Amino acid sequence: MKPARALDDDAATAVGPAPILRLDGVTKRFGAAAAVDGVDLDVRDGEFLTIVGPSGCGKTTLLRMLAGLEQPSEGGIVLRGRVINDLPPNRRPTCLVFQSLALFPHRTVGENIAFPLKMRGVARAAREARARDLMRMMRLPDHYFARNVMRCSGGERQRVAIARAFANDPEILFFDEPLSALDYKLKKTLEKELKDIHKETGKTFIYITHSLEEAMVMSDRVAVMRAGRIVQIGTPEEIYTRPVNRFVAEFMGEVNVLGARRRADGLYDSPDAPGAFRVANAAAPTGFIVVRPEFLRLLSGRSDAENVIEAEIYNSYSLGSRQQYRVRAGDQTLVLEQSRAAGPAPALDSRVLVGWDSRDGIFVEE
Amino acid sequence: MAAPDATMHGDAAPRAERRLQVLSIGARCAIPVYVLLALGFLAPLVAIVGFSFATPRGYDAFQTFTLANYAGILDPANTVWVSFVRSLVLAGLTVAILAVVAYPIAYGLARVFGRRAGLVSLLFVFPLFVSENIRLYGWVLFFIKGGVLDGTLRWLGLPGGPEFLFSPAATLFGMVYVYLPFMLFPMTLGLSTVPADLIEAGRDMGASRLQIWREIELPLAMPGILIGMLLTFVLAVGAVAEAKVLGGQSIIVITHDIEIAFTYAQNWPLGSALAVLLTILVGVLTFFGIARLDLDRILGRR
Amino acid sequence: MSGASAPRATDRLVRGWTAFVIVAIYLPILCGVLASIGKSRYFRFPVPQYSLEWWQRTVDSIEIGQLVRTSLKMASAVTVIAVVVAFLGALAYARYEWKGRKLYQKLVLLPIFFPQPVMGLALLLWFNALGVTLSWQTAVFAHLVWIVPVVTLVMAIQMYGFDPALEEAAFDLGASRLQVLREVTLPILWPGIWSGALFAFLLSWGNFPLSLYTTGPDTSVPEWLYAKMVAGYTPMVPALGSMATIAAAAILLVASLALRLRRRRAEP
Repeated sequence: MKPARALDDDAATAVGPAPILRLDGVTKRFGAAAAVDGVDLDVRDGEFLTIVGPSGCGKTTLLRMLAGLEQPSEGGIVLRGRVINDLPPNRRPTCLVFQSLALFPHRTVGENIAFPLKMRGVARAAREARARDLMRMMRLPDHYFARNVMRCSGGERQRVAIARAFANDPEILFFDEPLSALDYKLKKTLEKELKDIHKETGKTFIYITHSLEEAMVMSDRVAVMRAGRIVQIGTPEEIYTRPVNRFVAEFMGEVNVLGARRRADGLYDSPDAPGAFRVANAAAPTGFIVVRPEFLRLLSGRSDAENVIEAEIYNSYSLGSRQQYRVRAGDQTLVLEQSRAAGPAPALDSRVLVGWDSRDGIFVEE
Repeated sequence: MAAPDATMHGDAAPRAERRLQVLSIGARCAIPVYVLLALGFLAPLVAIVGFSFATPRGYDAFQTFTLANYAGILDPANTVWVSFVRSLVLAGLTVAILAVVAYPIAYGLARVFGRRAGLVSLLFVFPLFVSENIRLYGWVLFFIKGGVLDGTLRWLGLPGGPEFLFSPAATLFGMVYVYLPFMLFPMTLGLSTVPADLIEAGRDMGASRLQIWREIELPLAMPGILIGMLLTFVLAVGAVAEAKVLGGQSIIVITHDIEIAFTYAQNWPLGSALAVLLTILVGVLTFFGIARLDLDRILGRR
Repeated sequence: MSGASAPRATDRLVRGWTAFVIVAIYLPILCGVLASIGKSRYFRFPVPQYSLEWWQRTVDSIEIGQLVRTSLKMASAVTVIAVVVAFLGALAYARYEWKGRKLYQKLVLLPIFFPQPVMGLALLLWFNALGVTLSWQTAVFAHLVWIVPVVTLVMAIQMYGFDPALEEAAFDLGASRLQVLREVTLPILWPGIWSGALFAFLLSWGNFPLSLYTTGPDTSVPEWLYAKMVAGYTPMVPALGSMATIAAAAILLVASLALRLRRRRAEP
């Protein structure tokens, strides 16, 4: 049973320009199991699309099919109106930056970057000029041209790999978790640089990662993938504030989830916390109330918020500019975050009131 | 992530044609080796099996079937089975001696020599490139009357060297000498797979050096040690040069009997029967030895 | 290496024992050299009179020249064929995933776990049963049966470290299959191929048991040496033996240096 087409929240796409890449029911089976299961996706020209998902969700397989390194079992991959299922990777106008970078260890930086041009028979002088241009674009010092690539640092190698991917001037660039092996500071620097390069070159980027932080920072749109299917696609903001189900909500960060059941009076009660809760935009009789930590507040009185729960402080964590508290209400542990400036910290084990307003809560059915 | 053989496919070939490539690229690469082994290893073994059932002293392999050759071997009046026993004993002793001789060296290569381990390994590999009769003859020149040992001792005023050559002891000595690398390298491999931090953890938990060796190193290195012992045994049981050159044929080993049967005695069926028995022994031991090996892990993760 | 701060007693024992064994291993080779540089036809130690005349006679001998040519012919043929077959075999061993691979890995080991003299004798029987005339070519075939598995392992060990993503990247960047092979696969696997070729050559050059039974009328250097050890000893025997050993050492040295030079050139 094919899942419904994962629609954007932005329904105006119907009148927009044709997508540069369209996936139509793309499926990949290994034996009986489907690693990618009926994926429909439209990629817009020049966008930075990130596909996130837990390990094993099929995102790498999907990317490899787009690059041509795997063949889909079913479905079509259409690039600018042309079906490219059978086109081998060396003839697709796309380039993949591998997770391991796959830099040729027996070649210098310049030779690595110029490799695609050499394969196309471009003359040496022209190759070298273009390679140096790309090195400049990636902020690599010019004298690195003759340096053996294995002598460069992790971050430098990263840049060489990206420069190499641009050499052929591809229409779409694929990135397979390129930043996962780098330390925090380097990762942050490169994230921003990638976003700048995207803006400067105007190319379409398709990026996969398991880190939601990277996805949020860099992308125009994010697609959340699970068990071979795309569960939701939209801007980072949309995914964050309007997740379509519990999985997406929980994947995008730490959340509080309460089971909810509609009562006769329209309010919802929960097996996870005492009291009746007001839910905005609720359609279904059962589901879950999702409240992000930043919307759960410490209250000074019962009238401070629409929905109130009694709890006691269990533990607190310092997150730099923000403070996080874990509170226990019966069996349930809830998480709330507030900025340091919001007020003095309550003592451990003290009884408090926490709560949120219905407009800050998200209701999902599953 | 590991998709089967999708690496190099896809030269825009139509789907039907690709389905005809029944064999993956890995299987196709294995074909030349398989052909060589089939023609050069399997076929001769099949031949000797066929000949082992032929009429004694005849050449009618695959046309007759008789157990006379095997019966002849097992006949206690025939002394051929003595050679078998001698070979087994010699091989067993060789393994036992080499296990002790090679272990400290293997330990050194894995833990002590550090950067020099490569050079030391090379020194132990090099003899494999020198034919064993040259090396064994060097020992003859050493031990013979008037040779290096005898001459040096006399020159020092001592009585001459012992009558060592052309005895079973000399044969054993030669085998220990020749098969050292085959015990050493698997052992070294086994020892080097023991992670250094396990040893440190053992020390940290208060174990003595002997306890660490017994409880941690030895069990983890055991697969390598056993392979070394297996390899040495199966090679030593079929050895013949040592018995000829150093042993002076004071002991006739089984391979020598096979050779005599094939050449002087022109009794191919008997020689084949002996060879079959030897092959069965070697085959069974090898089968049990390597059946459960994870070769990727042993050879790959270094 | 577990860095002990001070050399322990066991370490010293290990080093001492290893040194002793190494001396013992090379002692017979040394004895061979000593036996070849005496003037008299019969070996006596201490050598009463030193002379290089037997070495000279060995070099001048036409018969020995023929032997060396035969051995070289065999070793060269073995090397060329073994490198090709074993390269493919090593790809199947370590590079590609395929259905029968685990079984294949074990089957390839079988000729290594088999006594060479028995294999030689079985091949002798097989050739005779087929009516094939024995010559240096049949010996080449015999050598290959043992040497190809060894060289396959040598190359496979190198190939385990090969990142398949490199070939995929080259492909993705626009290279044709031939270009991938030429620009990426072979250059990176070259050290393994070179080591494999070296092993093939030297193992064939120094092989005795397989040659003994399968060369027929042709004679390789080790075979001739053995025949003369049994009957007709002259100091030319240890002379040739020593020369063969020195040749093997020289080839090994030159080849290792060439490899190291190439590696150093790759990193400016």
